Parts: sequence; structure tokens; C-alpha cells
Amino acid sequence: MAQVAIQSVRALRSAHPLLYASRKGATMAQHESEPMTRRELLRMIGLTAGTSAMYQAMSGLGLAAESPYRGPIDLQGAPRGTSVLVLGAGIAGMSAAFELRNAGYDVTVLEYNTRPGGRNWTLRGGDRYTELGGAMQECQFDEGLYINPGPWRIPYHHHAMMSYCKRLGVALEPFIQVNYNAYLHGSNAFGGKPVRFREVKADYQGHVAELLAKAVSQSTLDGAVSKEDRERLLESLRAWGALDKDYAYVESIAASERRGYLRKPGGGLSGRPVPSKPVALADILDSGLWASIAAGDEFDMQTTLFQPVGGMGRIGEAFGRELGPVIRYNSKVVDIRQDGHGVTVTYEDRASPGTHQSARAQWCLCTIPLPILAQIPMNVSERMAAAIAAVPYASAVKVGLQFKRRFWEEDEQIYGGISYTDLPINVIAYPNTGYHSAGKGVLLGAYIWGLSAMEFTSMSPAQRVQKAVEFGSQIHAQYPREFDNGIAVAWHRSPFTMGCFGAWTIEARAQHYESLCRIDGRIALAGEHASYLNGWQEGAVTSALDALARLHRRAVAEGAAA
Amino acid sequence: MTHRKARAIAYGVSMALCLVATGKGAHAADPPFIALEDLASASGAQIYSHICQACHMARGEGAAGAGHYPKLSGDRTLASWRYVALTVLGGRNGMPAFGLPASPFGQHLSDVQVAAVVNYVRTHFGNHFRDTISVTDVSRLAHPTARPEF
Repeated sequence: MAQVAIQSVRALRSAHPLLYASRKGATMAQHESEPMTRRELLRMIGLTAGTSAMYQAMSGLGLAAESPYRGPIDLQGAPRGTSVLVLGAGIAGMSAAFELRNAGYDVTVLEYNTRPGGRNWTLRGGDRYTELGGAMQECQFDEGLYINPGPWRIPYHHHAMMSYCKRLGVALEPFIQVNYNAYLHGSNAFGGKPVRFREVKADYQGHVAELLAKAVSQSTLDGAVSKEDRERLLESLRAWGALDKDYAYVESIAASERRGYLRKPGGGLSGRPVPSKPVALADILDSGLWASIAAGDEFDMQTTLFQPVGGMGRIGEAFGRELGPVIRYNSKVVDIRQDGHGVTVTYEDRASPGTHQSARAQWCLCTIPLPILAQIPMNVSERMAAAIAAVPYASAVKVGLQFKRRFWEEDEQIYGGISYTDLPINVIAYPNTGYHSAGKGVLLGAYIWGLSAMEFTSMSPAQRVQKAVEFGSQIHAQYPREFDNGIAVAWHRSPFTMGCFGAWTIEARAQHYESLCRIDGRIALAGEHASYLNGWQEGAVTSALDALARLHRRAVAEGAAA
Repeated sequence: MTHRKARAIAYGVSMALCLVATGKGAHAADPPFIALEDLASASGAQIYSHICQACHMARGEGAAGAGHYPKLSGDRTLASWRYVALTVLGGRNGMPAFGLPASPFGQHLSDVQVAAVVNYVRTHFGNHFRDTISVTDVSRLAHPTARPEF
């Protein structure tokens, strides 16, 4: 039973922002007895009618909508001396504090950690991280090498994040989402041998085009396609699938231009190309590797994506520099109390445990992750309290691995991008920067979620790294010889979030989302959990700006009334 | 024979050898990672050490940071097996539900697994509740029906 459930999970996998691809072995039949979710529906549309149809359906369902961000927020007319307390110096809290301060508000930010950023975070050589339970890791990466334990990419249409990078002077470089020379790997596919993305995509597409062309030629589709469109459709199938003059997908130069050659074209006497032989349709279907080829077609994964030069943490660091003494670090919030005039927050100074201090302001924007907020005494309405308790956080684990050399580039010509596997590590993601560098290299050796993430979280950090190396060795034989050191972040062990991001159900969203986002007296909540972009920084910023606009209106109204 | 089956059998054999060698049973041979398909037939002890331990820690001691994970040792609410089972199935205050339909970010445990781990938690970490439960007891409880968005 559990295995059936896991496979249906795999069938859904390609749909989510933080995920990339379904795994092999997915079957749709399992869904027949279950109510279909939006994502399942979209996936089925995508499978049967192609990605453009899926995109149209997504737009219709409001999922693929553009970020609502329309330029810097206008907070003009802030009443003089109005104070706001922001809880949490993550992306939501700091973008809000930045705007509030610029608009003339008196802002204070309380932050549990000793650094700005929250989940916007980069681990570099020398960094120390102590997780819940006390295990401490010191990152051993060489100078300039890093991993982003949290968010790691910014789609071009995440306008708010793009805008803040620009305003803060955070340099961006491309994040490679799709690499045709990276691998697709299934433990039971093609004898467990990884296959280049390029080959699977070309063969799947070529065979599907050939089948469809046959159906068109045999007039099977007459009702659906007009006579004039028939010719155009055939022509388009030839172009799309690299078919020959008879609309067949065969061993040819045309097909090799997609899937790669047996011997690549070159110069001189030795340059004559030799075409490669496509894999049969039945083998492609049986491998299950087709499930990963649409990963880069998702709205949030479409080229161009970006990453900050030097690590995602550069954004949080820039906000932190900008805000300076506005942020009080090492402050653990223990009580939030509002009255008719303002909000008093009691916090423990972690540098001197047991010492409680308090801060007071007229308004409070609270971005504390919900699993933590649910435990902090706070006098808000029952509706908001129920909403806070209704959203558990997803489990996720990332493992960064340093190797003695960049063998993926030197031996396998993989420059950035992602390989996908049905092993628990899910992906191997190569650095999108520093190509051809001499010396060591760091890649993302695992990005795990669901039950497997909980399993990895249950292990010691050293065990997590060891298992990531063990699994990864099935894809890159160089792993055991070249492995140097690693670091593992399990988000449920993160002392400052206790989970990765808000995992809403359809029912909880319907029942609680509005209550979570609506201002309660003098307290407003923000963060990726208070958005439809869960797990994305864009969700954090847009939720903060949305709440800020409403808080500002109230503050202005109150200022006018006073 | 598939790799997985071969691995499962190999594992079974090594477990049997281990039982002979140490007489201690599953715990001594508990590998750091069990494939999800093998977890389906794992003991309560293994479900605890591979899933619950992620937050509640190896000895049920819980942990504290900006918030805390409750300790399971000496927790009076464990006296009610229904409370414990319903908590595992439906989640509570930030603890994810394990009785929801499976989803990519979710975590699904079968009723058999839930019964096993409830019995384990209530008889370890200084807890000595004698009324063990069966899979039928779990099946009769209300299961969450919410559908994950992803």
C-alpha cells in the first residue's frame, strides 16, 4: 500500500517549484479511486495534450499567474513617529523593514539567529551550524565554494526578488535549470546506467511525433483536425520530432542533431559524423525516465533563472547591511501581547539566557515560521490562532559535497544544471559558476523531501553525507575516489524554522488562509507560508508587501484620527 | 529478481545472522537508511528511529530552539493511545499529519505502521503503558481527509 502511495507521489513530482521531476514508475491508474487534485489534473492535461495546453489550463486555474509585484511599494504619508516591530529577519521581515524604514516608520526587527537571512542562507568554508539536538557541523569547503541549504534559484518572473537584487546591488548570474548533457537515472532503467537528458528527450519526442504522424496519415484524427491543418500538423511533427521524409524517427543525422552522434561532426579527414541509434519507444516508456523531461517547462523553471553571485545568502547579507542596527540579533521571542494602542513583544537575549527584554510598537509584522509561532503565547483571535496551528511544514534535506576535482566537467562535460534520479537523493545539481576552475568543486549531492527526508533527518549529519555519497556513486563512479567532505542541512532540525516551508492542504487553504493573512488588531503575519508561492522567496516578499500596504492604510487612518 | 528484492533478501539474511550473533534483535542491525518500500514492513522501533527521531530525537528527549519539539519521555498524554494515534494520523501544532494521502512533500504511514510506532513510543523512553493496540484500533479512528496542494 505504501509503495502504491509513493508511486502516486512520484507521478505528481514534476509539478512543484522546489521539485524538478517525477520519478520513474509513475502510473496514473492509481488516481482513479482518489479525488483528483489540481496538480494531478494539470499533470494529466500536460501528459495528454502537451505543455502549452497545460500552461493554458494552469493560467485558468490561477496557478501560473505572474507575481503580483508591480514595482516598489508606495508607503507615502506615514504618520510621524509611528512604530512597527518586525519579528524575523528573513526575506519577508527584512524587505518589510527596508520599506518601512525608507517610508519614515520607526522600525525594529527581532531575529533569533546571529545573522540576517533566515532560510536565505549560504554555507561557506568556516561557517558553523548547530542543529536541533546539538550536532554541530563546520563547513570544510575551499575558498569560494558553497551550497545554498534553502532557496537556490530565482525565476526571471519573480519580479519582487529581481527588483530587490537590483536595488540592493546583488549581482546575479544564470542558474542552469536544464542541462541536456546532465543525466536521467533510474535504478532499474537501462541496467541502472545513467542516460543523457538529451537522448531521452529526443527519443521520447521523436517516437511520439512518429506515432502522431501515423495517426494523422491514417486519418484517425479526422474529426479533430481539418484537412488544411493535416498537412501543417504533419510538417510540424517532422520538425518537432526530427522525423525523416516518411515521418519516421530513425537513425539519422536529423535525429542525431537532437540526441547526439555516435561520432560527432568535426573537421578534416576524421570529421565525418556517424549518427547514433535511437532507443526504442517501448524501452523509453519502460524506463520511466520520460517523467523528468518536462521539468524545465514548468512556469517557475523556465529559462532564464538566476542565482546571486557568491550564493543566495548574498541577498540576506545585503538586507542585513542595509538595515544595520535596526535588527536585534540573538533575540528569541517568547511572548506577543497586543492591546488597544500597540504590541509588546517579550524576548530572551540568547547571549545571556534567562534574561528577558521587551520591545513595544504600535504595529507588529510577524514573520516567525508557523511551527514556532504556534508555540508562542499571543493574544490574537481564535481564527488566526487556528490558522497558525493548521499548517505543518514540509520536510527537506540538502547535502553539499566537496570533491577533489570538478570531474563532472572534466570527465563528463556537465557544466551546471541538474541530474535526476529515482534514488532518495533525487538530484545531483552541479555548480552553475566557476567552470573549469582548478582545484576542488562543490555540488549539491542530495535534495530530499517527504518520508525520505525524515529518514535523512533522523541520521547524524555524517551519516547523511555518507549516504549521499553512497547513492551518488551509482550515477558518478568517480564519487568514492574524489570525495573530500560534505555538509548536510535537515530542515526539520533547523532551530529557527523547524521545517522547510508551509505545506498547505486544499482544505486548510479554504478554511484558514484568509484568517492567517488578515490583520488581527495590530498584528499582521507574513512569510512564504502566507502566500500561494510556498517555498519561494517571492511568496515571502509579496506576502510582506501585501500585509504592509494594509498596515500602512490603518496607520495612516489612525494618524489622521489622532 | 529485482535489485530491491535482492537487497531486501540480503538484508533479511544479515538480520537473521545478526540475531544469532548478538541476540539483541532489530536494533543492533538497524541500518541508517531503509528504502521506503522496506519501511512498510519495518518494526515500531525502526519507524521511530527512522522517522519520528527526526524531531523527537533518539531517546525521545525532544529539542528546543526558537520553538521546541516535545519530549516523549514521561509525557502523560501518552496514557491515551487514542490521543497518540490521532496525533500521528492528524498531526498537531506544527507536527505533520502522517495519515494524509501521500504527496511529494507529505509523509504517509499505513495503519500498520501507525499501530507499531504508537505501541513502541508508549513502551519506551520510560513509558510503560501495557495496553498495546492493533491495526484495527487505528483503522477505526478518524483519518484526515485533506488533500495536499502538491
